[in-house]
Amino acid sequence: MTHLNSPATVEPAAGAPILVLEKLDKRFGGTHALKAVDLAFDEGEIHAIVGENGAGKSTLIKLLTGVHPRSSGAVYWRGKAVPLANPHEAIGLGINAVHQEVVLCPHLTVAGNIFLGDEEMRAGLLDHKRMVRDGQKLLDDLGFSLPADVILSSLTIGQQQLVATARAERRGAKFLIFDEPTAYLTRQEAAALFTLIRRLKANGVTIVYISHRLEEVFELCDRVSVLRDGALVGTRLIGDTNEADLIALMINRTIEQIYYKDSIPVGAAILETEKLSGDGFRDISIKVREGEIVGLYGLIGAGRSEFVQSVFGRHPASSGRISWQGRDVSIRNERQAMDLGIALAPESRRDQGLCLNLGVGFNLNLPIFKRLSLGPLINGSKEVRAADRQIRDVQIKTAAQTALVSSLSGGNQQKVVIGKWLNHGAKLFIFDEPTVGVDVGTKAEIYRLLASLLKEGAGIIMISSYLPEVYELADTLHVFRGGSIVASHNHRDASHETILSEAIGV
Amino acid sequence: MSDQTIARTRPVGAGLGVFLGLTLLGLLAIMWLALSIETTTFWTANNIANLLRQTAFIAILAIGQTFVIITGGIDLSVGAVEGFISMIVALLLTNDLGFASTITGAVTISLLIGVGIGLFHAFGVVQMGLPPFIMTLSTMYALRGIGLLITNGATISITNDAFTNFSRTSFLGFPWTDGSWFQIPSLVWMVVLVAVPSHVFLNHSRWGRYLFAIGSNKEAARLSGVNVKAITYVAYVLCSLFAAFVGVLLATRIGIGNPTQGQGDELQSIASSVIGGASLFGAVGSVHGPVIGALILQTISNGANLLNVNSFWQTIITGALIIIVVYFDSLRRRKR
Repeated sequence: MTHLNSPATVEPAAGAPILVLEKLDKRFGGTHALKAVDLAFDEGEIHAIVGENGAGKSTLIKLLTGVHPRSSGAVYWRGKAVPLANPHEAIGLGINAVHQEVVLCPHLTVAGNIFLGDEEMRAGLLDHKRMVRDGQKLLDDLGFSLPADVILSSLTIGQQQLVATARAERRGAKFLIFDEPTAYLTRQEAAALFTLIRRLKANGVTIVYISHRLEEVFELCDRVSVLRDGALVGTRLIGDTNEADLIALMINRTIEQIYYKDSIPVGAAILETEKLSGDGFRDISIKVREGEIVGLYGLIGAGRSEFVQSVFGRHPASSGRISWQGRDVSIRNERQAMDLGIALAPESRRDQGLCLNLGVGFNLNLPIFKRLSLGPLINGSKEVRAADRQIRDVQIKTAAQTALVSSLSGGNQQKVVIGKWLNHGAKLFIFDEPTVGVDVGTKAEIYRLLASLLKEGAGIIMISSYLPEVYELADTLHVFRGGSIVASHNHRDASHETILSEAIGV
Repeated sequence: MSDQTIARTRPVGAGLGVFLGLTLLGLLAIMWLALSIETTTFWTANNIANLLRQTAFIAILAIGQTFVIITGGIDLSVGAVEGFISMIVALLLTNDLGFASTITGAVTISLLIGVGIGLFHAFGVVQMGLPPFIMTLSTMYALRGIGLLITNGATISITNDAFTNFSRTSFLGFPWTDGSWFQIPSLVWMVVLVAVPSHVFLNHSRWGRYLFAIGSNKEAARLSGVNVKAITYVAYVLCSLFAAFVGVLLATRIGIGNPTQGQGDELQSIASSVIGGASLFGAVGSVHGPVIGALILQTISNGANLLNVNSFWQTIITGALIIIVVYFDSLRRRKR
């Protein structure tokens, strides 16, 4: 499959345009998410869309699949203007999307999901047997080794994604959008998916392929369009471009401008673990000192999150030693961790980090209400001032401190999480994927925040699946694989390729 | 936005919107005005005092209910607790058990039993991981059964006049529009006694804040150092304690103890809470909201009686009102 895209191929991207976007525009309140995008998708091509987080890719998908109505502009399907007002209409035209986060019913069987909304019937009743049989045949035909009769939630996310693809295939999709399809897939699963995508293309299906992984774009796609800050900044034939070219288009600034790193003197050790083992990780020994960032890199499921959760007292370690500022401690619950001075900005902001339907000020003050109280009662003006100062210090863009956190952008939400812990006065900050879903500008701001934490003598553990980030920022970088540290590096002392192969294990 | 604007705004952002509060008060004013015009009997010191007395029970239940609802839970047992406690207090007062049969003793013991029931609810929800709906539904049934077992289905009449006179007493008053003297019923003062500390607790203490935090996102609250278990206990204990208090007040009003009393009050309290702006998804609610909500519900029932409207219509109107209020509230939320 690797030879499919030699750069010399002048395989014209198939037929006439099947879907044309004209000045497509979308605003969410004050946010201009998509700015007058003109784009034409040719029938039977694989068209990649790349861009930083927050560049407008997901908004574009949501407009194309009818999830959100557009603010202005026009969409033509086979030359005919279409409103795309709801998902039903999009599916009716043959526009389907396979999302990164699977949107299926976890309690139904695989077959039940494939046939959902279009069940096979016999005498007015569901024909389960036939659906399982036909579903199995479909899965086999597609080359997925998946059973059709198991409950969906028993599969991995990667496998569920394949089920979603099979479902779209069955619906007779003519225009199929893949949103980061390989994010959670194993290599074999990804290979099976690519084979499927090529087969779909051969059958005349138009594919829109959205991915952060540029190597996949070059392997699979015919053309690539780049979005930046909601605007289309260019469309290239894949043979006419290269990775550096695309990255320059995507971020419009140099690496140095984004990654901000002061030389901060490293001080005394804050946290040391020695052969710490627990559920999902074993024999982890790391040391975090004042003024340094310790990066933990690895693939999803490599044990990094489990390890830091354990340090934070979530699931106490089964063996090994933790020492805090030179003193042996056992951290049995989160409260203890927080009292020591450990703060955790969790991976899933929405699930664990924030009270979304409460105010910005409320969230910032949540860990420190005790400090803002006189006896049992909260000092209202102190509370307002504390939140106010934090909003200014961390530069959270919000209309008021009573504004709900859910009304903020992803980046500003992340700033609330960080501001919350700054308020708490922690000594060791654990950031689990601090810049997921955050645009480049906000990323740079978050990195500056990290630097200011370090200056004040804090230490940072940063978990990231985004290699450039840990690579550029971490003073010490530990590579995780299968629950263990397989390699450790000093700042930029190994190449990206080396670190990546250590993480993957090839 | 300027710093000054930020500084002046209230920091909670989770209480009842001023808009909704005014809407509800406006609705109440319109209903009262219409009833005053339509009937000669509504706007009399007597009827209003009566309306307020009827409201008192549901209002107190609804305040407790709101605490639980703010945490994202629900308490279906408040009506059963109310009936059960009315029986307990009647039993204590009609027997000769020394201190336990004095008014002070009987009321104290009754309230402590309420606390015990609340602890049991929280234990089920927090320690056993049961859904609040199931946990409190079970105690709703169980308490009715236990009560009937104890009394053998009989109603206990309370002979202690000092106790039963309480609900007829009043404290302070003011001249009514027709020149008569409006006596503020003691039951209304009981609502004040519960509502004022509850308001301070909910809006000005950190435990109140934590209730909202838990209702919004348990995990985030826990990771912020909030003792989620303890705060959940507080919510359920307060709810059952208030329900027990209502049980005592009910016994003073009707002079009997009967475990089947208070049926349907759990739904009335939930309705008052919701009409008063609380969200069953948690993290939204206030103390004044459910009180106004209870007053609206009682006004519907009182007004319907005076207008000789078929009592079946009262329930239909209540149902329609809940849908309308919640719909407007969801419209308001969607806009944000």
